[in-house]
Order: sequence, then C-alpha cells, then structure tokens
Amino acid sequence: MSIYKHSYRAYTGRLTPAWYRIFVLARYGFAEVWSSKITVALFTFSLLPSVLFLVGIYLANNPLARALIGMQNAKLAAIDARFFFVILQIHCWLAMVLSAWIAPRLISFDLADNALPILLSRPVSRLGYVSGKFIALLSSLSAVTWVPCLLLFCYQSYSSALPWAGQNLQIAVGLFAGAMIWIAFLSMLGLAISSWVKWRMVATGVIFAAMFIPAGVGAIVSGVLRTKWGILLNLPFTMSVLWQRLLGAPPSIIGLRIVIPTAPIVMSLLLAALICGAMLNARIRAREVVRG
Amino acid sequence: MNDRIVFDDVSKFYGEVLGVNRVTLSLPPGVTTLVGPNGSGKTTLMNLLTGLVSPSNGHISVLGLAPSETTEFFRMVGYCTQFDSFPRGLTGWEFIVDSLLLHGISHDQAAKLALESIERVRLGDAAARRIASYSKGMRQKIRLAQAIAHHPRVLVLDEPLNGLDPMARAESLALFEELGRQGMHLLISSHILEEVDRISDRVVLITGGYLIAVGNIHQVRQEVREKPMEVIIRCNNPELLASRMFAINHCVEARLHPDGKGVFLRTGDVDQFYSILNDIAAEGTIKVETVAPADDDANAIYQYLIGANGSTS
Repeated sequence: MSIYKHSYRAYTGRLTPAWYRIFVLARYGFAEVWSSKITVALFTFSLLPSVLFLVGIYLANNPLARALIGMQNAKLAAIDARFFFVILQIHCWLAMVLSAWIAPRLISFDLADNALPILLSRPVSRLGYVSGKFIALLSSLSAVTWVPCLLLFCYQSYSSALPWAGQNLQIAVGLFAGAMIWIAFLSMLGLAISSWVKWRMVATGVIFAAMFIPAGVGAIVSGVLRTKWGILLNLPFTMSVLWQRLLGAPPSIIGLRIVIPTAPIVMSLLLAALICGAMLNARIRAREVVRG
Repeated sequence: MNDRIVFDDVSKFYGEVLGVNRVTLSLPPGVTTLVGPNGSGKTTLMNLLTGLVSPSNGHISVLGLAPSETTEFFRMVGYCTQFDSFPRGLTGWEFIVDSLLLHGISHDQAAKLALESIERVRLGDAAARRIASYSKGMRQKIRLAQAIAHHPRVLVLDEPLNGLDPMARAESLALFEELGRQGMHLLISSHILEEVDRISDRVVLITGGYLIAVGNIHQVRQEVREKPMEVIIRCNNPELLASRMFAINHCVEARLHPDGKGVFLRTGDVDQFYSILNDIAAEGTIKVETVAPADDDANAIYQYLIGANGSTS
C-alpha cells in the first residue's frame, strides 16, 4: 500500500443552490445559439413585423401624420383584439422558424460530441440539463414573441387618446399567455426532435414536418371517420383558436367554421408536450455508447 | 465517514446486453488499475461508480455515499472520460471555471481552484485559448484538470494517458502517484499497463462483464499457480546457475539475459525455488547480485488471466 499520509482534503467551502447551476448550462445554450450569423439574421427578420406594426399604430393614432403623407382619408385597421391577433400570429410563426433553426444547435452538438457524460458527472440532473437548454431557447423565442407584442401594446396604450389599456387588458394577458404557451411547446418539440435526429439540418426539417404533417393526417382522419376531432392534429388551426379566445378576438377571424372547445385543445397540447418529454427522457442519457 | 468504494453484487444490463455482472468490490484509498480488453465492462464500471448509470441490481457506495445523494456524491467524485468531448467554443479556463460552477462553487472560489488545477497539469499558458485549438495531449490534460479542480476524494480516469507524449505521461503518472499517496482514491483504466503498473497499488481484472481478479499485483500473480512464475537473477555465472537450478528444482524454462549477466528462470514452485536459490548463494560459488520477479506486473497478469484475445484462460 503506497499511502504514507492522508493529507488530501476535499473542497469544503460553501455551495451555490442547485437552481443556480442550471444557468451555467443556459449560458452554454445562449453561446451556442448566438454563435451563428444565421441566428442573428433570422432574429432580426423576426422583429421586422414589429416595426411595421409600430408604424401602423403610430399612424392610426396621429391624424396629423396621416395628413402629412396624404393618407387622411385612408381607412386604417382599428387597433383592437383583431389587430393584435394578427401581430401575435405573425410573430409566433416566425418564432417557429427561429426555433427550428436554433433548437438543433442546443442539443445535437452535445450528443454528437459525447459531451453529456462530462456535463452530467456533476451535481446536475438530466432534468437540469434540459432545463438549461429550455431556458436558453425560451428566452430567445420570448424576444421575438411576447416581448415585442407587449411593447406594441404599451405603445398603443401610450399613443391612444382614450383610456385604452384598461379597457383592453385581456389583449395584454392574451398576448403573453398565447405566446408563452406556443414558445414553451415549440421549445419542448425542438429539443425533443433535436435529441433524436443527429444531423442539424435534418432536425430542422423534421421540426417543420412535425408541425404540418399531423395536420394532413388530421384532415384524413376527419374525412375517413366523418368526425371533427381530427382537427386537433392541425396545430396551426388549434393554436389560432386558442390565440383568438385568449385575446377575445371575434371567431370569424379564424375562417374555419368548426367549433372545438378549449379543453380538448389544451389537452392535445399537453399530450404532445408529454410525448416530447418522454422522447427527451429516453435520449438524454449520460451513458457513453462505447463499452470498454 | 467510510473510506471505501463499495460495489455490492452490482450488475448492469443494457436491455439484453450485459455490462457487468455480479461485481463485488471494496476498494481502499490509493491507485487501482482497471484492466480488461475492449468491451469488457471497464467503462460501465466507471459510469456506475460516477453515478452516470444506475445499476440493474446491487448497490454502490462511494465513501459511504450513494449516487442518489447527488450534490454530496459528485462533490466527492471527479471523472475524466475517455471521450475527447467538450462543450463547443470554450477556452480551457472557461471550461474549468464552468465545471466548478456546475459543482456549485462560487465564482471567486471557482477562479482560485481553476488556476490551481490548470497549474497542476502545467497548462497555464494555453488556458486562455479555445479548447478546439488544443493538441490531443493538451485536451487530455484539460480534462484531467476539470476532474481534479473541485478537489474530489475519488478520481476516476478512463484511459488518461492516451494521446500524451512520454514527458506528459510521466508528469501525469507522477501526479496520480502523488494524489494516491495523499489518500485519494484513483481508479484508472489504461491500456498502457507497463506505466500504470509502476504506480498501481492494486489491480482489478475484468472481462466480459465479470471480475477475474482483484488485489495487489504481486498477490494476484502468486495466486495464478498454473502459470510458472518467471524470475530474473543477476549473477556472475548465469549458465552455471541455470544448470544448478534445473538439476535441483522443477524449473521449466531458462533464458539467458541478452547482456549475459543474468538469467530468466521459470518455476512452478516459487517457494521451493527461493529456498534452493538461497542455498546456492550461501555456497559462494555463484555471486548473486539481484533477484526479482519478471512477470508479476499487470501486463503479465492480463496475459495469463485474460489472454491476448481478451478471452479468459
């Protein structure tokens, strides 16, 4: 036995709380996401509609400005729930494009590099790891969804000559809740698919496919079984219904005449999120593939 | 606190594939070498020890702690994986500091400990560079630095000498030896048996997921009685010694040393062999300078117990 003296001492200093450590992984996530110029370009593009809507709100509230550009008799859209529904819808779909690009960057690299064992041999659980990535993705998507939407709401409240905000508080709540539900779902879906598809570009394609192929399957199910419930697989439609109800916009804005209660929509989203959770649970493992 | 690493009847199955089967071990502090062919279950054993995989059966305790006690457990364990994998875009310094932050150590302390570990592996000049620009040896060193940075009491090193040049290998071995002497547990898997052998207190031989032998290398060698032991004797008249030993003792093989000043003798009864050798030395006709076992190293034990093709013999 070659032990001559037990002089080695383990670290006994203070430790930070467990939740704090997740933010180290979130920071890794941000670094991964924003290291790509394409991410920056997509992010900038996603904010462009806000600028256009900002101009729209400015003109709607300023007759003098309208007169200056010769639009005094032009009929501008009313700034109401319908107007903010369009804003939310555009931003949310742009967020989907952004998430399809950035979600694979968050997990695929770690899986391809076999970096999970080195990260998870710390007091960080698999849930902590996914939470770190989730925070990075959710924050990035927030910046192009509810944040600009609420800023536009605030600007409208400031610009309007009437006490507008108090009467339209449901719009603000709807903008935040609708966007958060959507981006939380997008984040789960993006991370789950990225954990299974090794190649980033393919993962991006699969995220789009996961969004739109079920809509086609749902239409077939509805047609064959002569039921309206196949529409629950049509995520673009169900989300539009949810946003419309959250904002208090008229149902006619959605177009389709099928009426689906809110509870099945929420249940179908929860079910999809659970499937994503199961996919992540199966794939995010510290186990190294090679035995030796 | 218990100072042992204990595997109590531990098995791990990946579906129908056997990782390790019914492993029972109790390892005291010091350097333990894990030896076995590819696919023998070494990495599974290390992953079990570091809490990265859960056993299908049995219990693991590291210094009295179960892997489920995550914060305390991981504070005690440092793991250097065999894979050349890092989160992308980080410098060596960031990698170590972030690793410490993940352990829950504050920023100030993390900076202090990172500096200490980077200096310990002699990577100070390269710490500010991105890991992507490191040579293979430097990457191995930075992995080692992250494994020791938080002052673990158990250090698990999966092929830590791969990719290191002879100088860096010697430095690493000296560091392992020093840590082992200070009372740390080191579990090292390596294919470079000759070098690890020098610092190893005990060896764990594993193949096909089953433990073959555990213990001090010399003790394990002596227990392998079916393989005659080889002894090298340096003396002034090796030819005469060989003939004497053959005449008296059941020597099965004799081979002159290339320099002509020694002889390798292989015997099936080492106790009788040493007794007879003492008598010959006492006679004074042959001047014996040194006597040493020639095949009680990890490499020889590996060859005898597992064989060159990795199957148990």
